[in-house]
Amino acid sequence: MVLLPMSARPATLQIHQALMERFTGQPAVLPAACRARCGRIELYAYCDLDEGLKLQAAWLVLDEARLRVLAADGAEQIALPRAEITAVKEQSGMGACWLGVYGHQGRLLAEVRASNRQKKALEHIRFVLQQQIEGHEVRLRDADAVYAEAVAGSIREAQATVARNQMSVVWRLLGYFRPYKRDVAIGSAAAVVMTLLNLAPPYATKYLLDDVIAPVADGKLGADDMLPTALAVIAALGLTYLVREACVWFRLRKMAYLGEFVAHDLRQEIYAHLHRLSLSFFSKKQTGSIITRVSSDTDRLWEFLAFGVVEASLSVLMLAGLGAVLIALDWQLGLIMTLPVPLFLAAYYFHGRSINRRFLKAWRKWSDVSAVLSDTIPGMRVVKAFSQEDRERKRFDRRNDTALAAFNEVHASWTTFWPVLMLLFHAITLAVWGLAAVRLLGVWGPPLTLGTFIAFSLYMGLFMYPLEVIGQITRMMNRAVSSAHRVFEVIDTEPQITVAEDPVPMERVEGRVRFDNVSFSYDGVRRTLRNLSFEIQPGEMIGLVGPSGAGKSTIINLLARFYDATGGAVEVDGVDLKRVDLPQYRRQLGIVPQEPFLFHGTVLDNIRYGMPEAPLEAVVEAARAANAHDFICKMPLGYETIVGERGHTLSGGERQRVSIARAILHNPRLLILDEATSNVDTETERKIQEALDRLVRGRTVVAIAHRLSTLQKASRLLVIKDGMLAEEGTHAELLARPDGVYRKLHDMQQELHAQFAV
Amino acid sequence: MTPAGTQLLRTGGDGRLQALGPDGFVAVSVCRCFPWTAPEAHYSLRDAEGKEVAYVVDAAQLDAESRKALDAALGLAGFFFRVTGIDSIKEDFELRVWRVRTAQGARIFQSELDAWPETLPGGGWLMRDVTGDLYRFPPPEALDPASRRLFWAFMD
Repeated sequence: MVLLPMSARPATLQIHQALMERFTGQPAVLPAACRARCGRIELYAYCDLDEGLKLQAAWLVLDEARLRVLAADGAEQIALPRAEITAVKEQSGMGACWLGVYGHQGRLLAEVRASNRQKKALEHIRFVLQQQIEGHEVRLRDADAVYAEAVAGSIREAQATVARNQMSVVWRLLGYFRPYKRDVAIGSAAAVVMTLLNLAPPYATKYLLDDVIAPVADGKLGADDMLPTALAVIAALGLTYLVREACVWFRLRKMAYLGEFVAHDLRQEIYAHLHRLSLSFFSKKQTGSIITRVSSDTDRLWEFLAFGVVEASLSVLMLAGLGAVLIALDWQLGLIMTLPVPLFLAAYYFHGRSINRRFLKAWRKWSDVSAVLSDTIPGMRVVKAFSQEDRERKRFDRRNDTALAAFNEVHASWTTFWPVLMLLFHAITLAVWGLAAVRLLGVWGPPLTLGTFIAFSLYMGLFMYPLEVIGQITRMMNRAVSSAHRVFEVIDTEPQITVAEDPVPMERVEGRVRFDNVSFSYDGVRRTLRNLSFEIQPGEMIGLVGPSGAGKSTIINLLARFYDATGGAVEVDGVDLKRVDLPQYRRQLGIVPQEPFLFHGTVLDNIRYGMPEAPLEAVVEAARAANAHDFICKMPLGYETIVGERGHTLSGGERQRVSIARAILHNPRLLILDEATSNVDTETERKIQEALDRLVRGRTVVAIAHRLSTLQKASRLLVIKDGMLAEEGTHAELLARPDGVYRKLHDMQQELHAQFAV
Repeated sequence: MTPAGTQLLRTGGDGRLQALGPDGFVAVSVCRCFPWTAPEAHYSLRDAEGKEVAYVVDAAQLDAESRKALDAALGLAGFFFRVTGIDSIKEDFELRVWRVRTAQGARIFQSELDAWPETLPGGGWLMRDVTGDLYRFPPPEALDPASRRLFWAFMD
């Protein structure tokens, strides 16, 4: 029996539970009333469909002694001693699943039904019961974590992370300004001064008209007396414009740079963190999604930090300043202008909602258009072969037409909104003009000076822009917070492979490998390896064989320490891999994978990837040993040939030989060959095999091979089945066992070979 | 399998559908081959190993007992949530959150932002949530006006 660790850490558990509460409407944990009925709970699942396939709330709970079906209030419907269970069956439909538990003579003891959302949790219970029936014991420590991961895992994968408070994310984002405090202060001060200075020219106009020009026009003062004042006002206005533009320059420059600095820092942090993360992270997330986080999301954050934050703050400041100045200038006219402000904001809000719906539809139609393109362009050969060009063209035209209509609906919406809004604004302007006219003419109300009226007209021109920005704040913030979430999710992910505090140096690996009672599980429930023990001596070549899914690749993953064993220990030269200096260890480890990966660059760059300083002679020697030199020399640019993204300009066999050359140059002490000769033709396989024969000399080698014949030279073969060591011995020894697993696999391959060789 | 006069299907003692194979009746699961285009025909009946034991072209031609047994099994095999009304569709971070009324009861589910309902051959739409559950939306005329308004952006 092996105690498996929790499948999720407490922070992850909290996230999953929060997601469940927020999104599923089902309990995040087993209700207390149900818990009270049970002993030590190992697993549980929510059974949300009743016999008639209507929604219900019931629980299937597995404790150390019994399997129970409980109602939400804890009422026990079924309680089966685990020992009585002889079989457990699962059946899946399009959108629901069924689990049946059987006793002696195939009697159905219990059955539950659930929607697909609960399928994983039910499957865990089925698996554990099945293991029990087969005589294996699996004990889990944290039923809550397993249940939460099973239900909320797919939501979490679809979403960046659990949604936290928007403002807390914005504050965290703003925290990245901390190293640039001085520049932030200068940029912000410049922005505030610029905004306030915007309010000065209309006021100067009023002063010039009312206090300088009007007294002269009325003959109260002489023109010569007022000319210096007029010139002073104009000079002050000139100075205002000068300072304002200086502030604009400061603000744009500082904030644009700052945004770029923060985005740069975020990119650096996220990329550096990506290299610390375990492979499990990359297997869960799509490559595109990770790339987007480093590129587009940080770019969007730059936009928000450089302009969004400042624009929004300044717009609020500007609107407040304008309101105050207008009311202070003339409260009657000021109120006419400011009272409709909430109406404008509401109009922006509702228009935003309405156009979002239209955008949604247009976006959907556009994705239909894209779908045709991504279907037909790569499949053009098939389209032409079946002479379906006309059909495809019509399909595209139809979708293109509906996309056009949807986008025109969007345009119809905003092109109507803006003129109507402006009409409303003009109506307010007219109201201001109407009231101003009667007061200017002295027909009604308190007198109004011409300067005040003109200043008002100028202030009115400043009103629309801040309203527009404020109307877009929510959308802008949502986009930025969404990007920030995606970025922070990566930064906050803890590497599962931790570096030992006081690592044991591995300057020279001898190559003695020991798997000591190793168990491993990717999901915390299913064990891929069970109590596996074996030893490899330095210089031995070990072949790992067994049916697919047996656990061979997992052994390799543990040996490379891409994952840590969940039970037992993997030792190299007598040191637990969890304690070794990992970079030092990996420098002496070589891997030739099934799918060789070449980076965009020259053949030379790729061969030298692990040893960038290697001399050219050594590169050529490695390429010769890898049977790659000849094909490289046939290319016009030889070793300087660009291989393209992922090495797509080379054939599969050529890529593999470059990857072997890379491994040879790297000169590893411990070499892993992961089905290096699969998916290639016989001639290529021969060349690769020759290269591998040279590569393996003088090293400890662990090899997985699809074709058993390629492992005949191995010192020993380890036959893995169901995560356990089924057989061990040389090729000849294993073939001598008539009922052996290896013998069966070998015979099967021989038969296939004979059939296809005819 | 072409249905003949003999009983080809039955409900086993454990409540599961059984089909008559070469070695007698075996427990089978049903796969609807065309769940939307031909929901009442073309069923592949498969044993525990996934091997096809029988293929029903037209359920109407089965004997009464077999038909009854098949209908009972089809409930689970063809299960999806039948949406009768929509309470809200909101966007969250990278997810669209749907609160719907279904024939099976009220339900909240999530879809990815770029996952759209598929138009079904028999009318209506099908939406798959992030956990793989299926939701069938009826044609617009079968929805109340408020639901129709909410669903507007997702309809053709």
